[in-house]
Amino acid sequence: MPSFWRNMTAQERRSARTGYLALAPWAFGFLVFYAFPIVATFYFSLTQWTLVDPPVWVGLDNYTRMFTRDPLFLSSLKATLLFVALSLPLKLVLGLMLALLLNLKIAGMNFFRTVFFIPAVISGVAVSLMWIWFLQPDTGVVNTLLSYVGVQGPYWFWDRDWALPSVAIMSIWKVGGAAIIYLAGLQNIPAHLYEAAEIDGAGKWRRFWRITLPLLTPTLFFQLIIELIDAFKIFTEAFVITKGGPLKATYFFLYYFYEEAFRNFNMGYASALALFLLAVIMGCTVFVYRTSDRWVYYEN
Amino acid sequence: MTALSFRKSLALVCALALLLAGIGGVAAQEPVTITWWTLASAESPEPAIRAVIEAFEAEHPDIKIDVTIMAESAYGDLMNTALGAGEGAPDIAYFWETPWLPHTLDITDHLEADPDLSRDDYFAEYFTNWATWNGRVVGLPFTVGANFVMYNKDVFDEAGVDYPTADWTPEEYIEIATALTDPAKRRWGGDRPRGPFRAVWRNIGATKPYSDDSSTVEGYFNGPESVAAYTWLWDLVASGATPTPADIEVLGTEGTGPVDLFIAGRLGMATLNNGHMITAANAGVNFGIVPEPHVPGNERFVHAWALRASIWAGTEHPDEAYEFLSFWAGPEGQRINMEIGALMPSLPAVLADYPDADSDYFQGFMGVLDATQTAEWRADHPCWRGAVIRAVSDAWDLIMLGEIERDEVQATLDSMVEPAQAALDECVPRLGG
Repeated sequence: MPSFWRNMTAQERRSARTGYLALAPWAFGFLVFYAFPIVATFYFSLTQWTLVDPPVWVGLDNYTRMFTRDPLFLSSLKATLLFVALSLPLKLVLGLMLALLLNLKIAGMNFFRTVFFIPAVISGVAVSLMWIWFLQPDTGVVNTLLSYVGVQGPYWFWDRDWALPSVAIMSIWKVGGAAIIYLAGLQNIPAHLYEAAEIDGAGKWRRFWRITLPLLTPTLFFQLIIELIDAFKIFTEAFVITKGGPLKATYFFLYYFYEEAFRNFNMGYASALALFLLAVIMGCTVFVYRTSDRWVYYEN
Repeated sequence: MTALSFRKSLALVCALALLLAGIGGVAAQEPVTITWWTLASAESPEPAIRAVIEAFEAEHPDIKIDVTIMAESAYGDLMNTALGAGEGAPDIAYFWETPWLPHTLDITDHLEADPDLSRDDYFAEYFTNWATWNGRVVGLPFTVGANFVMYNKDVFDEAGVDYPTADWTPEEYIEIATALTDPAKRRWGGDRPRGPFRAVWRNIGATKPYSDDSSTVEGYFNGPESVAAYTWLWDLVASGATPTPADIEVLGTEGTGPVDLFIAGRLGMATLNNGHMITAANAGVNFGIVPEPHVPGNERFVHAWALRASIWAGTEHPDEAYEFLSFWAGPEGQRINMEIGALMPSLPAVLADYPDADSDYFQGFMGVLDATQTAEWRADHPCWRGAVIRAVSDAWDLIMLGEIERDEVQATLDSMVEPAQAALDECVPRLGG
């Protein structure tokens, strides 16, 4: 029996038992659905496995291939990083701007908040199909509107240079979800700070930079991490719209993983790819976390 | 022991023996349950599946069928999981993935001993390509599917263009498509092939992307026949007589073909399949069917498919499973599916009774069923569709996007050889070929 248990009173033990019991379902779920698959993935990454036949041990061969002999690994990683670099600032900035608008005190605001949030809960596949129509080069809404102002719109998803930016632009569609989180942060900023600043003669812009933004940094920090992870997991758009093309412009890392695992029956290599992506996301998250003490302001 | 007690003992033993025999008899009559995983579709809807079971169980009271009808999206995952675990797989199922084939029961002996069913009852190409593997009979072909060119007779008549015939060439395809194209009516003459693996690629090029022994890409993918095939594709794209990939994506709502454009009369010719054929017939379109064009002198190929209905190798009831398989994928089962659903049976004798069998378009469809199938090659080369095709897909994209000149086709194919060879070298030791 562990010493901490022996040192407890009967009442404390009863209380601890109740606590563990309450924790048990979650702990069970974590072990079965998260911890075990991660450990299993690590094992499978050291094997060659077609999914239906027993895995064959190949040691570090999958990793060697990944880093030395696989051009698709690098190109899919590059496409993914480019997408993250494009979509992440877009979503963070536009989400904040939308939240500022949704924070105005005007009639019917709850309606607007609901409308902007709806896209965040619509299926990614349905949204993708809709964007195919939006961005169709000849008959799509976007190019038709551009043609009214004399601009010849690009071929969007069907152009090697525009395909990836098109997918990034699509991600704005779900910015309402981020805006709602920002909105919660905005409404937590004490009103008296704005009143005091206003009395001191601070204009709107100054109040935003000196009060809103610093006090919103915890929310921004949260959003940055969530959106960062989300951006690295870009898949549905490539799967539904571009199939990784044209010319592999949207051949994202997760799409590559999917093709290796479920089309190429190369589950061992796919496991190695999955672990690499996990490491990259974890590295980025740790980096953001480590730098947070320099720019995230906690009032307490 | 007295004589009486001996007689009593004997009677008791006899009674016990009779009782045990009776129990045994009851046990022997307990029906065997066969598990079956399947999918509901337009060809084989749930009522047809239920009707097959009902008819089979009426004929075989000693066998019960426990069916699970599942969504296609879940089917692959469940099969992978069950086969990978080595337990829990159904006795009967579609085994459509190549890595699943080693887990099928070899039914060669069952079929040879079957007085009511033989491999000769099926379309030969379909049986060879979809029911045999590595010299084993791994299932029975269920339904037939194929690609062919559907042409809209009204569009042809309006443009004053003769209907295509079965012996037409790729060059004629471009000529006819160009003649039918009418920008004022937003009408294209014909569609484009969807990928280099389709029959049209082999018909035109009469070549393969790499050697039969899966060792060499050089000289095949960039060989003269392949260059000719890709150059034809370049000419087709440059003709402006086909919708762009963006147009097809938006205007053709069917995932596998632009049937909507065809039905609307905005596409004079379209490479579609028998499911689309039924859709167009039901929509009242006046159309005909011809095989995809091919270069005279080259063997004609067709891109065709069947569902492979198989028995799991781990079944505990192989004989009973075969009884059901041969019923379901045999004449009775396929006829039920044809009558209730829209199945095109893989048995010529049953397909002859198809409701529209006498129609012009159906006769055209029948004309493609005996051609050599691209599957004949592809089935032995599992690395083509996944790994190698991905490595060479840039050549296809460059032509589709109009990013290379006609005289750059050779150099483009040459540049694909190295990645294709690397993909082949990685894949073959893993999946075979």
